Amino acid sequence: MSNQVTLLSAVLLFPGGLFALLFGLALKGADRRVAARLQGRVGPPLMQPLFDLVKLGFKRTMVPSTTASETVFLGAPLVGVVSMLIAAALVPISGVYSPDPMLGNLLVLLYLLMVPGIVLMVAGSASGSPYGAIGFSREMALMLAYEGPLVLVVAAVALRTGWSEGHVISFSLTEIVRHQQVHGAFLFDPVMWPAVAAFVFFYPANLGIVPFDIPEAETEVLEGPLLEYSGPALGLFKIMSALKAVVVLGLGIALFMPLAPSGVLGLAVWLVEMLVLMLVGVTVVRVSVGRMRIDQAFAFFLKWPLLFAAASLAVVVVV
Amino acid sequence: MNIISDLKKVATKSPWLYRINGGSCNGCDVELATTACIPRYDVERLGCQYCGSPRHADIVLITGPLTAHVKDAVLRLWEEIPEPKVTVAVGVCPISGGIFRESYAVCAPIDQYLPVDVNIPGCPPRPQAIIEGIAKAIEIWREKL
Amino acid sequence: MNFLTLLARNLWNGPSTEAFPFGPAVTPKRFRGKIAFDAPSCEGCKICERVCPAGAIRFTKTADGLGFSCWHDTCVFCGNCEFYCPTKSVHQTTDWHLSHTQAEKYSMVESGLIPNQVCVECGATALDTAPSVAAVKPPMSAEEVADLRGRCPKCRAKFLKARRAKS
Repeated sequence: MSNQVTLLSAVLLFPGGLFALLFGLALKGADRRVAARLQGRVGPPLMQPLFDLVKLGFKRTMVPSTTASETVFLGAPLVGVVSMLIAAALVPISGVYSPDPMLGNLLVLLYLLMVPGIVLMVAGSASGSPYGAIGFSREMALMLAYEGPLVLVVAAVALRTGWSEGHVISFSLTEIVRHQQVHGAFLFDPVMWPAVAAFVFFYPANLGIVPFDIPEAETEVLEGPLLEYSGPALGLFKIMSALKAVVVLGLGIALFMPLAPSGVLGLAVWLVEMLVLMLVGVTVVRVSVGRMRIDQAFAFFLKWPLLFAAASLAVVVVV
Repeated sequence: MNIISDLKKVATKSPWLYRINGGSCNGCDVELATTACIPRYDVERLGCQYCGSPRHADIVLITGPLTAHVKDAVLRLWEEIPEPKVTVAVGVCPISGGIFRESYAVCAPIDQYLPVDVNIPGCPPRPQAIIEGIAKAIEIWREKL
Repeated sequence: MNFLTLLARNLWNGPSTEAFPFGPAVTPKRFRGKIAFDAPSCEGCKICERVCPAGAIRFTKTADGLGFSCWHDTCVFCGNCEFYCPTKSVHQTTDWHLSHTQAEKYSMVESGLIPNQVCVECGATALDTAPSVAAVKPPMSAEEVADLRGRCPKCRAKFLKARRAKS
């Protein structure tokens, strides 16, 4: 019984649920504010994404007459939010929180990370809008491109941890974090550098940040899959993307850089790490480059990140 | 009751803007782009953000004298925007027809077709005037919410 | 890598945003804003109505005199009226605070009235316009202009003819 309560609180309060949502919104707000500063503007208040959410709660939800199925149209964002809530509870915070093995492991997290993309595809095609359809096809192409490198990166990390710990492969995030706390972070391990590089290319694509925001490009396909959503349904997508930011950045920290003291200090260090990763890896890239075409992005992912990821796997296997 | 009015106050900090070009000469559109994109006038301080989809819009900015060619498209697009919304006419063209007034090709004053809330005259209005108009629109939006 | 130095410079120098909605705005000195009309100096030539491209300026004859109106919701702020006005009684101010709610749409009007007067010489009713004296030689003194102003157009012509004969 108490185990179930712990699981539920991990999903709904900390580190998933409320905590991840507020932190994700704050990260997005910081991103927007720093982007504005980099462009020489003042920018919105820090909690602007939260204001947006509240605003969306007051708006009316419109279901387009062209929709394929109203249930799918309105249910898709819910699926995305739930998957991200569970995913957020799966991400370990070193020294503070390690996920219950009952909830899942790295493989479950990988599958959950695919859900938002799939939800966007379903939403885009359920809306019946031609822009949604274009967004759908672009999202699918991009997902095909970036999921491969991610799987290889995760396999490299799991293999490296597993071999050092004495068995073949380890998909337990707790064990990966514990291993790095003992033996030093993978970020400082030259063997893992190609994997780090591949992950750096992966996460802007997964988060839909500018060089790879092709499916939701508002100037080309009018936000693609999100075009027909309004009011609370759109708010759910915003919640999903805020949670996803926390999950993906948290996964990066857990895989490569989980070095922190325990307790409140550890949490503070983790929060600062996330913020720095967001600002350096997302904001600066976002304001300094333009959007790629889908074919360019596809070719890019099949060239460099896949090469890096494959190299990291090969190096791990050989060394 | 109190919480709801507090939440409404928070909600008015995030008005999303949507532009409709009703056959404008693009002078007003350039000024609208300037209002958002040039650091000097940064409209994002008010929480405003241009959105690509009419479904996400709160404040609709209409430019142009509503030429006979785009009239139906503009009216249809305006219908697609969920309530509550505030309509703002930017430039003299949508307000009265301006220099194109009484032409056979324009259906000029748009207030015969849509309930306009705020007018921002000018040919084109300067960015500060647009920001002032948007601030007025936010006040009206708060009452509508 | 030019853009990276640009970003760093932006971050270092801080935002270059004006304070406007929360503070005063900068207005250029020669900004072409709201039209203002100064009735006493108007000659009543109506050239402004003629050159106004948007048809914003309109003169209407009423029982009290000649009414001037400029509707700012159709004015395109081109400045033709000021350019052609011989006495600059129609001029543009730097005021750009023009945004208004729909209820105020038809009150965005600059209006003025050139009143009727009774001619001091013949007693006929005529407009109290400023006399057109810029081209008169030798230049007229202020008293002469004031004297001229009190007459109707016919008596003004007579006055000027008599003055020319005298000099």
